[in-house]
Amino acid sequence: MAERGRYLYAVCRDLDVESLGDLRGLGDRPIESVESHGLVGLVSSVDLDEYGEAGLRRNLEDIDWLESTARGHDAVVQAAAAVVATAPMRLVTIFNDDAGVRRRLAERFDRIHALLDRVEGHEEWSVKVLTRAPDPVAESTVAAGSGAEYLRRRKQDQESRESEMRDAHLVAERVHDALAAFAVASRRLAPQDPRLTGHTGTMVHNAAYLVPRDLSDRFSAAVGEVVAEYREVQLDARGPWPPYSFAMLEEE
Amino acid sequence: MSQAGGDLQSPGGGYAAAYQSRPQPANLADILERVLDKGIIIAGDIRVNLLDIELLTVKIRLIVVSVDKAQEMGIDWWRHDPMLNADARGLADENAELRQRVEELEAQGGKRG
Repeated sequence: MAERGRYLYAVCRDLDVESLGDLRGLGDRPIESVESHGLVGLVSSVDLDEYGEAGLRRNLEDIDWLESTARGHDAVVQAAAAVVATAPMRLVTIFNDDAGVRRRLAERFDRIHALLDRVEGHEEWSVKVLTRAPDPVAESTVAAGSGAEYLRRRKQDQESRESEMRDAHLVAERVHDALAAFAVASRRLAPQDPRLTGHTGTMVHNAAYLVPRDLSDRFSAAVGEVVAEYREVQLDARGPWPPYSFAMLEEE
Repeated sequence: MSQAGGDLQSPGGGYAAAYQSRPQPANLADILERVLDKGIIIAGDIRVNLLDIELLTVKIRLIVVSVDKAQEMGIDWWRHDPMLNADARGLADENAELRQRVEELEAQGGKRG
């Protein structure tokens, strides 16, 4: 039998894993709890052939493996966050045994409790602003014409693209201000690559908002308003997410 | 609460002005930026070289095309990225400052009038 480790998905408190029902972790293994200092770590067993140092080095380069692992990790975090305040762990945080998990939780229990206090009753929303894609049909039907005409048109296209970008950045600032009014914290994330998301247009704003659950209706309404008001851009709002972007705790 | 507003589809279709009340199935980029870059970072017993992961996230953004290769191919979105590029960031900051200035002036004008 392959050697096994314990994969830690998230930390929460006041959670009975029974209440998560038949929640399965990576490799379809059952989710169990490891407790320390009032914290509940959600773990499952993983084979170290796959999740040991050598296995991870190999597998992290495999986009399909990474995707299924990321989705499996997220599914457990989502399930817990739907019930109690939850601090997600970074992907592939793995221990030799439950004692190792307890030791780490014990070392940082006060900071993790403080973090859980901060995110308790809050949800994360993801909001992106993108320029509208240039119409490829209009571009391709431009007749060749004279050289001077071509250059003039090219300059015009470039100027209109630049102006579109400036406008989009302004809209992004306004969208941000409108939504941040209902959030207790926000965090800007790097724009995403269209080849990964399939989006068109240029992403000028990618941010996460931490919204108190009792303001989520007002936040949603504010999203609806900016969608209606700024039709010159594409707006993508998704949530609620567990508070990934606001449950940051770096190794000291 | 699945949609807000009326016409949420962009003319080009695809990645429209979506408004979803559940990120399921969330796009891979959204999940990866959260599970790889965010959350609690503590060292497990299995040591993963974080540098490897950071290289990987760049690689993922480029879908397994190396950075050098991507630049050769003219894929250099991060150079125009306001988050990563000082010049572009400056433009966005300048916009925000100008807008704030206009609002201040408008507010002053309002008081006088």
